[in-house]
Amino acid sequence: MSGRAERAAAWVYEGLWGVLAQWFRVPKEPPTLPVGAGEEVMSFRPAAGFLSYLKLWFWILCLLIDVGIFIIWVVIFVKSALAGVLLALPALFIAVVPDIFSFVAIHLRYDTTWYVMTGRSLRIRRGVWVIHETTITFENVQNVKVHSGPVQRYFGIANLVVETAGAGGGEGHGKGGAVANRGIIEGVANAPDLRDRIMQRLRQSKTAGLGDEDDHDLRAGAAWTRDHLQALREIREETAALRKADAA
Amino acid sequence: MDNESALSEEQANFDPTQITRPDPSLMTYYFIVAVLTTIGFFFLILPLVFKYHTLRYKFDDKGVSMSWGVLFRREIYLTYRRIQDIHVTRNIFQRWLGLAEVAVQTASGSAGAEMKIEGIRRPELLRDFLYRQMRGARGETEPQVAGEAAGEPVSDSDEALALLQGIRDDLRGLRQTMEARS
Repeated sequence: MSGRAERAAAWVYEGLWGVLAQWFRVPKEPPTLPVGAGEEVMSFRPAAGFLSYLKLWFWILCLLIDVGIFIIWVVIFVKSALAGVLLALPALFIAVVPDIFSFVAIHLRYDTTWYVMTGRSLRIRRGVWVIHETTITFENVQNVKVHSGPVQRYFGIANLVVETAGAGGGEGHGKGGAVANRGIIEGVANAPDLRDRIMQRLRQSKTAGLGDEDDHDLRAGAAWTRDHLQALREIREETAALRKADAA
Repeated sequence: MDNESALSEEQANFDPTQITRPDPSLMTYYFIVAVLTTIGFFFLILPLVFKYHTLRYKFDDKGVSMSWGVLFRREIYLTYRRIQDIHVTRNIFQRWLGLAEVAVQTASGSAGAEMKIEGIRRPELLRDFLYRQMRGARGETEPQVAGEAAGEPVSDSDEALALLQGIRDDLRGLRQTMEARS
């Protein structure tokens, strides 16, 4: 693609974004998470490799479908030249227009996927027509999975799946992660690094992450309260007095 | 960044305990949903109208309850502390109307969200309110207050150990004198 065509494509894409933001209320800015002072917020989107990965599948599918359409058209043309000539334009239309749409859709999907991570929680937002947003605190996380297929590994990306308790959705329902008990961080380059960060948080946590209503005693590892100490002191005084009385 | 500070001020003024009924625009949304099903309109609009008119929310300091239904009444109650994750879903009509579906999950085994809060104005404020009530949203692994009150844990296990050893020594001395006497 020449420089001018690329600029034109970028301009059209910008315009499309303008329409989406203005008329379809697609938020352009990354999502935020409320944080206290001094806490760091990490806001990121899938790695560049994820875009290449999506495009690879796009080109493969494109090629298969368009070759199929072309073969059908050739068969029609051989059977009846007139029908072939008449159908040439519609066939071209069917072959090209969906491709353009899905190519734009891939870019939109990439540009609307955002991940926000703080020391305490994770927020994932994705979607253009239907915008899904998931918020999970690390306190509630049960396990973290890293998935990557051979093609994903070639592009240096992996999917990070953060699961909480509960059976919501299930494996099959997980596409899009709408109302499942998990957050899927798709197509990131530093998945092991992110996993280690989250796992470190989990290890520090003293609860099972099941919404323990009263976990005061589980905190800080201190089992002695002032009352305990006071009682102990009184027993000690009592035994000391007893010993003294016995010796006398 | 001005936007952000304005939001936090709004956040401070946001009081979910005031919310008992869904916003009227929820009925508009339900109507659009019913219209979009075309042939299903008459089947769908009645339950939705009933749901809208009987939908009640009750937010208190511990949890939230939601009830609706005419023939089959449903009431859901959950505590904020047991929220596992919050999902906010906004389709295009909901965005136009300024609504969202705030789905809240607990650790129970039911598939799907336990509670889907619909028809709230400024859903992002509700989401942030729920988020702040969630476990782990604030510094909870560290003790929140220093152990000054009587019931609070103190990490003074040295004193406790010394006291216990003193008690042991006293009892041992007592036993020895008693044994010597007998």
